[in-house]
Amino acid sequence: MADFETQIVVIAGGPSGLAAACQAAEDGADVILIEKNSAVGGAANMGMGPLAIGSKYQQRQMIDITVEKALNMFMEYTHYMVDGRVVKRYFEQSADTIEWLEDMGVEFEGAYKYFTKSEATWHIVKTDQGIGPRAASFMNKALYARAQELGVEVMLETPAKKILKDAEGKVCGVLATNKEGKEIEIACKAAIICCGGGGANPEFIKEQTGYLFGKDMFNFAIPGNVGDGIKMAWDAGAAKTQVRIEQAANFEGMDDLPQSVPNVLMQPNLLVNKFGKRVMDEEQIQNTTFLSNAASRQKDRVLFSIVDTTIVKDYIRNGVDEISMVRTDPDVSDFFEGVEMAEKTGNKGLFKADTIEELAEKCGIDVDALVETVDDYNDYCDGYDEEFFKRKKYLRPLSKGPFYAGAIRPGGYGTVGGIRINENCECCGDDFYPIPGLYAAGADACNLYEDSYMFLLPGNSMGWAVNSGRIAGMEAAEYVQEDEDE
Amino acid sequence: MAVITIDGIRLEVPDGKNVLECALDAGIYIPHLCHHKDLNPLGSCRMCIVEVEGEDKPVPSCKLQAKDGLVIQTQTDEVKRLRMLALELLLAGHPEDCSTCPKYGNCELQMLIQYIGPKTGRLKMRAKGFSVNEANPLILHDMNRCVLCGRCVRVCNDVRGVKVLQYQKRDLEVFTGALQEKLLKDANCRFCEACVEVCPTGTIRDKLANSEVRKEDYVVPCRMGCPAHIDVPRYIRFINQGDYAAANATVREKVPFPHCLGYICVHNCETECKHQYLNEPVSIRNLKRFAAEHDDGEWKKKAFHKPATGKKIAVIGGGPSGLTAAYFGAKLGHSVTVFDESEKLGGQLRYGIPSYRLPREVLDHEIADILEAGDITVKTNTKVENAPALLEQGFDAVYVAVGTHQGARLPIPGSSLEGVLVNSEFLRAFENGTASVGERVVILGGGNVAIDCAGAAFRLGAKSVDMACLEAYDAMTATDEERAWAVEEGVVLHNSKTFPQILGENEHVTGVVIKSVGNFRKENGRMMFDVLDGTEETLPADTVIFATGQRPTIPMEPEAFGLELTHGNYVAGKGPNGETSVKGVWAGGDSLTGTTSVIKGIAGARDAISAIDIYLGGDGNIDESLAPEQEKNPEIGIIDGFGDIPRTEPTVVPCPERVANWKTCGPMDKGFDEKKAKCESERCLQCDLRLCISSPRTWGDYSKEAEA
Repeated sequence: MADFETQIVVIAGGPSGLAAACQAAEDGADVILIEKNSAVGGAANMGMGPLAIGSKYQQRQMIDITVEKALNMFMEYTHYMVDGRVVKRYFEQSADTIEWLEDMGVEFEGAYKYFTKSEATWHIVKTDQGIGPRAASFMNKALYARAQELGVEVMLETPAKKILKDAEGKVCGVLATNKEGKEIEIACKAAIICCGGGGANPEFIKEQTGYLFGKDMFNFAIPGNVGDGIKMAWDAGAAKTQVRIEQAANFEGMDDLPQSVPNVLMQPNLLVNKFGKRVMDEEQIQNTTFLSNAASRQKDRVLFSIVDTTIVKDYIRNGVDEISMVRTDPDVSDFFEGVEMAEKTGNKGLFKADTIEELAEKCGIDVDALVETVDDYNDYCDGYDEEFFKRKKYLRPLSKGPFYAGAIRPGGYGTVGGIRINENCECCGDDFYPIPGLYAAGADACNLYEDSYMFLLPGNSMGWAVNSGRIAGMEAAEYVQEDEDE
Repeated sequence: MAVITIDGIRLEVPDGKNVLECALDAGIYIPHLCHHKDLNPLGSCRMCIVEVEGEDKPVPSCKLQAKDGLVIQTQTDEVKRLRMLALELLLAGHPEDCSTCPKYGNCELQMLIQYIGPKTGRLKMRAKGFSVNEANPLILHDMNRCVLCGRCVRVCNDVRGVKVLQYQKRDLEVFTGALQEKLLKDANCRFCEACVEVCPTGTIRDKLANSEVRKEDYVVPCRMGCPAHIDVPRYIRFINQGDYAAANATVREKVPFPHCLGYICVHNCETECKHQYLNEPVSIRNLKRFAAEHDDGEWKKKAFHKPATGKKIAVIGGGPSGLTAAYFGAKLGHSVTVFDESEKLGGQLRYGIPSYRLPREVLDHEIADILEAGDITVKTNTKVENAPALLEQGFDAVYVAVGTHQGARLPIPGSSLEGVLVNSEFLRAFENGTASVGERVVILGGGNVAIDCAGAAFRLGAKSVDMACLEAYDAMTATDEERAWAVEEGVVLHNSKTFPQILGENEHVTGVVIKSVGNFRKENGRMMFDVLDGTEETLPADTVIFATGQRPTIPMEPEAFGLELTHGNYVAGKGPNGETSVKGVWAGGDSLTGTTSVIKGIAGARDAISAIDIYLGGDGNIDESLAPEQEKNPEIGIIDGFGDIPRTEPTVVPCPERVANWKTCGPMDKGFDEKKAKCESERCLQCDLRLCISSPRTWGDYSKEAEA
């Protein structure tokens, strides 16, 4: 005997789960949402807003981006290794989703780029206080309130354990553990898996991607994101797709330092590997996915960003060259205090030395090679960058100690992908046919990027989450209705 | 009573109650951070500010006392503006990146940001520059994430009375911690973890927290670690309160052998005990034994006895697992028949564990209590050849718990020489008074059974006992305590040895050849190792005892016993509660799980009998409440040097005497007297107290009402 009965169970209450629950309930389905944490919002509590293509904000801001252009960009970027039907449906719905969110009280600042070279597709949620991290937690609140208004029953601290299927192979229930730790069974016709990937599960990361969490991969590890949704889908017969880390470079141990420290090191400074050699035109490091990719292909998966005292003082005096929507403040006046703090707390990712030789030694970089690289680099500063053609305005010689270096390592937002879905967010088996009643959305089903996150169209993680959640919600609602009619 | 109005809603509330609590109790959410239901209001975070009619400035509602006619507004523009400002100031000193914080998803600050709105970039962010302090056991401090709500200080001082945590200052930053930044242990911390529980952010964290484990399991790991989930902190508290009988009744709620377990349990609870991170685990088993020694039998009056159901259950095997099933089966109203091959009941408790470790009066007394519990018929000296056949003989269900009473004689040259014995038969003969050994004894094997064989050999007059096993010293499966006793009695250990051959003359054993091994490991359940050349030596012996494992006495032929078997002749389990390949037949204990422990056999019997009861039409409920209500004083107070109090050791009969006079000196381990028990009970961290602290109340809990 089941303890609860409903039409659709949504597993987890991040942006994809909340969107799925709201959409399914709007379309007339009975919905129970179960979430293992005590708060809803998932990873999106940290984020700022979703991607949209062709929204009224973009029209108003005269930003020329259409579904056609974005789709083509996307498919070229991914070498057509992803499902075009999925991308198309996602992009096509994305503008409507902005209005859907506005109808429930979410407001947006407008459409933004992440960094200079990206497109303005990022729709940042409006707060009363301007733009900054955590803005999307407001959106989560609105989605949660809307779900409750629609009669969705939300059970917090209730992790799902297993998808149940009947003799015909259709989804017929979900096993979970309730607040008191007791196993409960929820009978249902459809289940939507929205568990946000496995970024907090080092074993899962190692098994699926080969990276070692905390050793050569420093991704976000949001508690609870352990890959349980993906495993439940696999157990229920869904095919496996490649799980990847959604990469963005990480400055080791910078979380507890003033923003000025990572901000200085994130500039297009001299960047070298352990052999003391440059690896790229450093201007590209604004694209933190590229930077992470580059770092993960080096010896010991690390790169070092190096500045001298003159460069730091220049940044302090004039502000840094490049800011992003996440590191918005060009003021880095407390850099030296930050370095002092790092020395006191035993930071392992920041190095300071009076000479280049000493710096190389501290970082474990080939000493002679680094000295030679710096000499060459300083020559380029007088002429032009013969090696990687970096633009003149970013070329600053390194001459005055102390010198500073920061270790840059592969990082990211957690995992993406794992469950095969089609454009209706139905989970599909190895034969590509859908498993009746099983849907997935958000990071668990984000097979969009193939090898690298598409940073040129920012807002993709949350955009995919909310839109795939809606798609799963509407498709599941239709499925349970049809099933009811039979 | 006072009538107050909150946002237009009239409430009748007790005069003087704080208005924030009035609102929350009435289902009206007012955001708050420093306030906690169990703590005195502080009013520092300014999140709960409200406007009071007739007053100029908003005031914190947690400090506002209800009085008749009070009219307040919680959501005016001014209140919202000030709340946002307060949050902004607070977040200016909090790390921006939540995504590396283990509290993510359960953080009260994060939920507050959802509710009030995220602050952004207006103020200059400030990093506090603390390093994460991992120097303390059990509790981790990341003061960068502290929002100075002061809950930890209040709970430590006002509720627990331990007074470790205080506000401190370093440079310009205030933080909370032990005075002079001492280690918690040096500051007399009781490690109750109340500070962890009330911390709204990821500042003070439980090192053992695991999002994939139930909270009460990682908070009270002794109870989780016990296969029968005996409520350990509860009975230790009863002992500390001087109510020993209540302590024993608590153990009795889960197991019918509390006294025996007090002597011989393998105590997984101690393996889990959080005190081990301070110095050593609490001596839980000895406390259990002490409680059992003070049993007054009052629990019998409270024990449940259901009316007769007319259903018949056969239990095959009268050891701890079988008798536990019989006990609960009879209490559930079923008619139970226990079959056992041996002359007496008790299984391994009688025929596997020597009497100098477990007095037979204790065992007999507990068995007598079990047999009193209801309609139980005992058929000893009766071997059941085929389990499912009992179903045809009129039994409605069968529980198989035949144990592992057949010792394994390894197939090495010389293993069948005269003077070569096997563990189970040797210990059975020791119990029956028919065992004898030569002067020089070699034991092959390194588990607890091997230790018992060694002890028995000395007591039978052996002059020397050598013990050879594959495992290195640290990897031996014998418990440290039992191994230490054996060494004290004179056992010579030969670790990391294989024994390829037993030597003999005239059909009688003369010695054992041993060789050193390296890289010992288990792969797919098989022992793997490399033999090191040139390490051969011979241990002279008059008696050799194999103690290299035991198996059930079930015949190897799959059909004979009527159940599907596995790994040779163990019963194959088919479900979580000991289901077998035959409907109506359950199994448990060693014959299902492999040789493990008495407590695991008991726990398996509990699960199985519950499933059997449901199968027979009952509700399967064997829970019972035998101990009285317990008062838990949250104010645990200060104990000087708490974390360093050493583990209390039991009184053990000294060595030559306990071997020479083993028949007259009683059990070698004398356990605890009242003073020792009191002292040891005091060491308990009382981890369960943390679970009594109220949960936070967040906007998500209220929005349903608010929307409705």
